Amino acid sequence: MTRFFQIVRSHFWSGFTLSGCALLFSAAAHAADYRVETVAEGLSHPWSLAFLPDGRMLVTERTGTLRLIEADGQLRETPVSGVPEAFVSGQAGLKDVVLAPDFEDSREVFISYACGTRRANATCLARGQWQDDGLTEVEVVFRASPDKTGDAHYGARLAFLPDDTLVLTLGDGFDYREAAQNPGSHIGKTVRLHRDGSVPEDNPFVGHEGVLPEIYTLGHRNPQAIVYDSEGERLLAHEHGPRGGDEINLLEPGKNYGWPLVTHGKDYTGARITPFESLPGFEPPLLDWTPSIAPAGMTLYRGELFPQWEGQLLVAALAGKRVHRVVLDSDGARDVEQLFGELNERFRDVRTGPDGAVYLLTDSPQGRVLRVMPAIER
Amino acid sequence: MSLRLMSRSVLYFVLAVLAASLLGSVIQSQFNLAQIAALGAEVPPALWWSTTLEDMVGFGPLYAAMMAVALLPALLVAALVCRWLPPGEALRLTVFAAAGAVGIFAAFQLANMAAPMPTLIAATRGLGGTLAMMLSGALGGWVFARLHSLDQRLPQHTPA
Repeated sequence: MTRFFQIVRSHFWSGFTLSGCALLFSAAAHAADYRVETVAEGLSHPWSLAFLPDGRMLVTERTGTLRLIEADGQLRETPVSGVPEAFVSGQAGLKDVVLAPDFEDSREVFISYACGTRRANATCLARGQWQDDGLTEVEVVFRASPDKTGDAHYGARLAFLPDDTLVLTLGDGFDYREAAQNPGSHIGKTVRLHRDGSVPEDNPFVGHEGVLPEIYTLGHRNPQAIVYDSEGERLLAHEHGPRGGDEINLLEPGKNYGWPLVTHGKDYTGARITPFESLPGFEPPLLDWTPSIAPAGMTLYRGELFPQWEGQLLVAALAGKRVHRVVLDSDGARDVEQLFGELNERFRDVRTGPDGAVYLLTDSPQGRVLRVMPAIER
Repeated sequence: MSLRLMSRSVLYFVLAVLAASLLGSVIQSQFNLAQIAALGAEVPPALWWSTTLEDMVGFGPLYAAMMAVALLPALLVAALVCRWLPPGEALRLTVFAAAGAVGIFAAFQLANMAAPMPTLIAATRGLGGTLAMMLSGALGGWVFARLHSLDQRLPQHTPA
């Protein structure tokens, strides 16, 4: 019976997942001509990717393990040691992995994950030292408060700002959507922290009575990507809406993005969550996807291999089984092209590699790391 | 069971599901809108009621399907239970109403187990909302039993 419900749950969320087994794909002619190579396969729901300076990669598996991929693409069989134990269930598990900007000196690695139990869990952030291909001196630097029950909507994406603080996204836990407007709760917020988890003094709500000082922005549902655009000096995030209402937002300190008071989406049952699509005092999205694409990871492309994508967002979509190319302009953001649909994969993450290639993570029990290169060598 | 009785039972079942799902849709809208109002948004009465009507179209069909699945076994069980109870209209209506309420409650639990989200219908996240939504199941059971009672009181047509 339990197995039956697991199957129904997995199919309900966003359709069936299909996984291919070919090692090399050649894409048909596209506006951007590319080829797709499989770097590694056999990963259990890979969720996030970080590039080590020596050409190797770290990949989180939602099922609770951190894996190391050698520079030649060999997936090391033994998971990385020292990773904090995650609460693994439904959407809960190991989430983002991000290297400190000064990693070559500090060796610091940050990992976000669902922590706790089914009845009392939260999004946690841990910091560890990368030593001998493992994590040591691991400490939890932040735990969202209050705890919640259930295994949905953790957010848990990380981005460093130029001042060496980091912003962590926090989901609404699905059943706690009204808490996204409660300034006394971390649920449905982004938080800005120092590396040790302490609160920067210039956070927007420091000294405000009744407001948690870690809060950077409010009113989010399930923000599953955040990137800092160093050239545009702006922080961009997207969030997974309900039925419709997926959004890309420009995050600014202290601003409220409206969930659940303001959304273009409806509940999965078809019920209205709110009668309002906009209200004074709430930030409108740069881009709204209705119907939903189920956005997951996102990268702001800066590289030499695809000059036509320079400065544009690539947004991985789970249900949509595409990567959406989004152009940012003075009027907001425009979804201009959908890529990689021929792979028929749920895309969990998309990253720009240090080599300028685009890396994709496919969401499945046999997930893969894919590298997208120009069809013709440059 | 005669064909006539069977077709009447199907008609009463459909009417019971319709009544129950409409009431359930209205109830869940009130809970959702009350939560929005509690966050500080002013919801004018016209917008309140237009949202309630919109939910009847948007939420109603799914809830009607859920109600049909819930009421079918619940009403059968109620009919069996009534065979063992002393006759009496009030008792019979109570049993059918209770069966409808329990049936839709069971449907909520099954839906939450099957769906990936913790709670499929937002109005049932708390005890108050769950009890209020169970009223819709109770109405379904009551309507079905009451229609049958009225049917039996009507003069039966016989061929000339």
